[in-house]
Amino acid sequence: MSIYNPLPILKGLWTTIKSVVEKPVTLQYPEQKRVMPQRFKGRHHLRRYDNGLEKCIGCALCAAACPADAIFVEASENTDEVRYSPGERYASTYEINMMRCIYCGYCEDACPTEAIQLGHDYEMAYTEKRNSIYTREILLDPPPEGQESTPRKVEPGVFNRSIPVMKDAE
Amino acid sequence: MAEQKVTGHHILLRHRDIPEIGEFEVYTAQGGFETFKKVVTTMEPEAIKQLVLDSGLRGRGGAGFPTGRKWMFVDDNNWPHYLVVNADESEPGTFKDREIMSKNPWQFLEGIMCSAFAIGANDIYIYLRGEFWQIAHELDRQIEKLHAESLLGEKLFGTDYALNIYTHLGAGAYICGEETALLNSIEGIMGQPRLRPPFPPAVGLYGKPTVVNNVETLANVALILEKGAAWYRSFGTAESAGTKVFSLSGRVKKPGNYELPLGTTYRQLIYEYGGGIMGDGKIKGIMSAGASSAVIVATDEVLDTPMAYESVPSLGADLGSASVIILDETVDMRWLINKTIDFFKHESCGKCTPCREGTFWMQKLTTRIASGDAGEADVELLHNVAKNMQGKCLCALGEFSTMAVASSIERFSEDFKV
Amino acid sequence: MAEQVKENTVTLTIDGVEVAVPQGTLVVDAAKIAGQDIPVFCYHPKMEPVGMCRMCLVDIGYPVKDRNTGEAVLNEDGTPKIQFGRTLVTGCTQVVSEGMVVVGYSEKVQQARKDVLEFFLTSHPLDCPICDKGGECPLQNLTLAYGPGESRFNYDEKKKNLKHVPLGDLIFLDRERCIHCARCTRFQEEIVDDPVIGFYNRGRSLEITTWSEPGFDSYWSGNTTDICPVGALTTADFRFGARPWEMLEVASICRECPVGCNLTLNTRREAKSGGKMVVKRVMPRQNEQVNELWICDKGRFGYHYASADDRLTTPLIRKEGEFIPASWDEALSLAAEKMQAAGSRLVSVAGGQLSNEDYFHIGQLTEHLGGKAVLYSNMMGGDLTTKVGMGPGSNLADLGAGDAILVVASDLEEEAPLYWLRVKQAAERGATLIVANPRATKTDRYAAHIIRYEYGQEAAAILALSLDRIGDSDLADESFKQAAKAFAEAENAVVFFGSEGTGMAQSDALSKACANLLIATGHTGRPNNGLVGVWDKGNVQGGWDMGLQPSATLFDDLKAAKAAYVVGADLAGDNPAYKQALAQAEFVVVQELHHTATMELADVVLPAQSFMEREGTLTSGERRVQRYYPAVPPAGESKADFAITAEIAAMAGKELESVSAGLVFLGIVGKFKDYADLDYQALAEVSEQWPIIGREDLYYGGTGYANHQGLGVLLGTAAGRGEPVLIDGFDLPDTGVDGLLAVPVTRLYDQGNNLRYAAVMFPRIASSYVSLNPADAAGLGESVVVELNGFQVEVALKLDENVPQGIVVVPRSFGLPISAPTPVVVKN
Repeated sequence: MSIYNPLPILKGLWTTIKSVVEKPVTLQYPEQKRVMPQRFKGRHHLRRYDNGLEKCIGCALCAAACPADAIFVEASENTDEVRYSPGERYASTYEINMMRCIYCGYCEDACPTEAIQLGHDYEMAYTEKRNSIYTREILLDPPPEGQESTPRKVEPGVFNRSIPVMKDAE
Repeated sequence: MAEQKVTGHHILLRHRDIPEIGEFEVYTAQGGFETFKKVVTTMEPEAIKQLVLDSGLRGRGGAGFPTGRKWMFVDDNNWPHYLVVNADESEPGTFKDREIMSKNPWQFLEGIMCSAFAIGANDIYIYLRGEFWQIAHELDRQIEKLHAESLLGEKLFGTDYALNIYTHLGAGAYICGEETALLNSIEGIMGQPRLRPPFPPAVGLYGKPTVVNNVETLANVALILEKGAAWYRSFGTAESAGTKVFSLSGRVKKPGNYELPLGTTYRQLIYEYGGGIMGDGKIKGIMSAGASSAVIVATDEVLDTPMAYESVPSLGADLGSASVIILDETVDMRWLINKTIDFFKHESCGKCTPCREGTFWMQKLTTRIASGDAGEADVELLHNVAKNMQGKCLCALGEFSTMAVASSIERFSEDFKV
Repeated sequence: MAEQVKENTVTLTIDGVEVAVPQGTLVVDAAKIAGQDIPVFCYHPKMEPVGMCRMCLVDIGYPVKDRNTGEAVLNEDGTPKIQFGRTLVTGCTQVVSEGMVVVGYSEKVQQARKDVLEFFLTSHPLDCPICDKGGECPLQNLTLAYGPGESRFNYDEKKKNLKHVPLGDLIFLDRERCIHCARCTRFQEEIVDDPVIGFYNRGRSLEITTWSEPGFDSYWSGNTTDICPVGALTTADFRFGARPWEMLEVASICRECPVGCNLTLNTRREAKSGGKMVVKRVMPRQNEQVNELWICDKGRFGYHYASADDRLTTPLIRKEGEFIPASWDEALSLAAEKMQAAGSRLVSVAGGQLSNEDYFHIGQLTEHLGGKAVLYSNMMGGDLTTKVGMGPGSNLADLGAGDAILVVASDLEEEAPLYWLRVKQAAERGATLIVANPRATKTDRYAAHIIRYEYGQEAAAILALSLDRIGDSDLADESFKQAAKAFAEAENAVVFFGSEGTGMAQSDALSKACANLLIATGHTGRPNNGLVGVWDKGNVQGGWDMGLQPSATLFDDLKAAKAAYVVGADLAGDNPAYKQALAQAEFVVVQELHHTATMELADVVLPAQSFMEREGTLTSGERRVQRYYPAVPPAGESKADFAITAEIAAMAGKELESVSAGLVFLGIVGKFKDYADLDYQALAEVSEQWPIIGREDLYYGGTGYANHQGLGVLLGTAAGRGEPVLIDGFDLPDTGVDGLLAVPVTRLYDQGNNLRYAAVMFPRIASSYVSLNPADAAGLGESVVVELNGFQVEVALKLDENVPQGIVVVPRSFGLPISAPTPVVVKN
């Protein structure tokens, strides 16, 4: 006849009791959302200058750098009547296939105008494959407050450089 | 302008001895155009070339190439031949050809006519810079006069020889003083230098053998043919025969043209003839060949160097067209190189990369250096850019643009201390 | 022979590699042969060197020779002593010499390259990301290979220049990117003799500008964008179209004229076209025997018709006057039924731009049904070129001193630009060029003999050139005699005959006269001798070779036809008379790419594939068979012409190959002697060409493509096989006309169906006009009414001193109904 040993069950109970008072590791998503680290690479944004013009010049270097072949860019020429970006050309088509994207950030590195940046947004579930294609309309940031959106009509001769002169933020 | 005499008489600036020699009658009374007649009627072209070679006459445009030898290079299997007179005289500090052509025109004309006969040319083009339009106008009248006197035209002196002279005005580009750019300009195409070789005596104006000589060079020819090679050799040094018109300018008391035998020292030119430095200041440097020359530090040794084709190179410069610009202690070398580069940047033809981009770059740098905004790194960069241009340009003028810059930084380093 | 080779070659060492090259070779070319890199910007192997860019600076050493003995001086180890120059030398201007040592890898040379690139980059903008040249840019590539890591130039001091300068309607200039290499200006002057662009100003302000009005008025302007070593010159057509690395390359052949220029089609998927694969640009593909590295602007920019929005995508059947989309089965069986029923009253009309395979099948089907197959062309003589054409081994580039070229009845640059270029170059090499034409053309500039005859007398003029007849002709003056002598005495002689002022009757007589002249002077059956048709359409020669012929009675044939089968020909659009005839035909089947005036008259419309969507072969005027490849997927349900014909044939009881063009070609090979022994593999064969160009050598030859897909094969001729060639007797056409005579001429940029879709070219295409001698234009205004063949058309009037009096020059395909010399009335 063996003597009943309560130790194992107490040990187990201890874990249970401890867990009851411990802070939970899970998040109550979607009510609660995790704050991402600063360097987190989420979905892309196409940025604008302070004046609201688009930074993207449609050079397709992001597409060239993309190891997953997820980006498709097609460029067109700006005119003073219909202007998207300060330079000579802009991306008339900009698409990222989020299903292909591996969030490596090479596109960001390749971008000569800092137009494409990986943000913190990670909520990209879709129920249709077609919706995995993010177009320029989705990717583009809204213009800064008080600034008109693109395309816009501008004074002739103001934007006469092929690539706007870039100055890093002070 | 200051006047002086060489061993009793001038060869090129004869109007200083015979004031009215600019008149046709006065010139002919001196035996003018007798030589031309003698040449056309009695002499063989080969003999003339040999005589000019024997005289030791060297090109006065800057390169100092033996004139007779250049003439001998003319391709006799390809006709016609042309003689082109380079009267572009655009080098800053050079003003000798202007005086010869305007004051002693008949001797100049007779010289080029004899030369044309020697190389078998029936047409002479005098290429003058655009600013010389008055001289061109005078020359046109004088050429008309020669036609009227039957010294130009068909069947001269009863022989089969025909000769015509045309003046051609440039549009004021420095590069058109370069002989191949000059030929392009006459042909009506853009004044940019051609590839050499082939050299003009083989392929020149309109693709034909052409001799391009400086005004001063050819102005000697008639007298050499009249008085002989030995007479000409009695002036100057063994390797630099004859006299040369030195255009003296800069910080001297009496700037002007001085015709002196080659081999005269800088000291003689500056102090004996030029009257010394303005305000009796101290001489600092010498630009021996206008803006395109290296700047020489004017030590005693330098001042005693004879001005001759063979001796100036030892000073790290060239005799060139003998446009001597004197710099004294008041001259800031930073200002000087900025001035010269302004000029070369303005005058670069743009054909070859190092000159087009290099002069543009140097102009930016020297402007900053002259204004005192530049650091030591800029001076170093400027020197490096100048050095990078050397040996890479299509024609000599690209090289020239770096001379003053590189030599000033090397030889007057204290001026560039920040 | 071996001795001779040795005498004419020079052995030199380039960076340690010993290479033997022909005497007179330039150092940069020798380096290319040796596989060594000497970078260049301004040098181009097709042009004279200028030594401007200074990029090719190298160190060159020569073996030292003893002054007294002339013997080479040796080093202690027995190697020849080499003396190097004080300064570096431009390799592009230096000719090789025996024992020369070229050093490119030394520190001195590498430093020089770095310096020169640094100079370039002080002014060049950093806009590679948006530059059309980015990715295939010599400056970019050479900077990566040889340039400094960073510039010491102060960025803020960069010179700003105009970046958007339309030089003309087709070419844009970016003055900031220009590196002043003068390749474009030299190309226009040296190669195509259209010096319409040039330098202006000097120094850093030097800039390219255009002298012509309209700007950059040249048929060759697109080539300057290929040889531009930076992105300074870009085409309006491709501007920002795609990045070079994103595009695929497919080999093709141009069919705008009979030259058969080799093309590379660059394709990419395009969002603007709904994700379709489209051709983004047309580039030249090297074929030194055809187009070298060049193509004309029509070939480069005129391709848009093949991908136009109004392409036919499904078969259509006319029901109660309306076109109703139908299935292939339905449409084909209807067509087959009607065509079969027509029997001998079937008329098949094949356009001039179809492939050999298409012609072959049309011929087979029509023969099977007992109908008449007609090649839609206004030129005759395609049978003569098979007899006395240029045979295998010919290359216009071989013609030079001692040879003669006769160009008759042709404004060659307008009719076939590359032929003009090749003839011009032959004349520059010393070939005697004889130009016989009623009015002055650009070809005259290179002519040793110019013969002017009256319109309609072209055949008589050529007959008069035969030495044995020269005495009989009242045309023959001294210029004829000299030209005749030069032609007869030439070692090799080629005749190009075109269609200036000729209709079918004149063309028939002219071609026979030309063949006669060649036979009489013994210029047949040998390479570089023979007859070349400057055909009015791209593959007319192929049509003739496949047994089709033009018909002088086409109008009546169509009127009486029970069924007309029109393939790739816009009869109604070209000539209102044909429109009337077709309207009278009982049943019309039209096989087309898009909506045309002819299609409007059809009962059944069958959508065909464009040349970009299928493969096939073309035969050029020189009778070079060349192969082209599919580049983009077919539009809608369209099928290749030969496949459609084969399917009709199948329904009409004749089995023809309907899938593989290659198999159809084997049928051709089996049937036609000239094509024997050929197959698609043979057509795809390539051999090494000079200059070496290609993707790694962008800086050298430009961005044109190397040829990996076939140089084509020149067909044999009857004369070449030793068969007897006799020319039938022929009548000289009657030329007598009271009053004005309208004559058709060809303009390169016409208003035809091909250019109708090339929007970029619209500004370059003239509006409808006729030309008159000023003496005939008294009382006429700027706009006139022309009465021609019973039709009245209002057009602009151009006065031209070159037009003979009594003649009205009417350009073809400009909306005026003309196919032969015709009496005409011109009034206000």
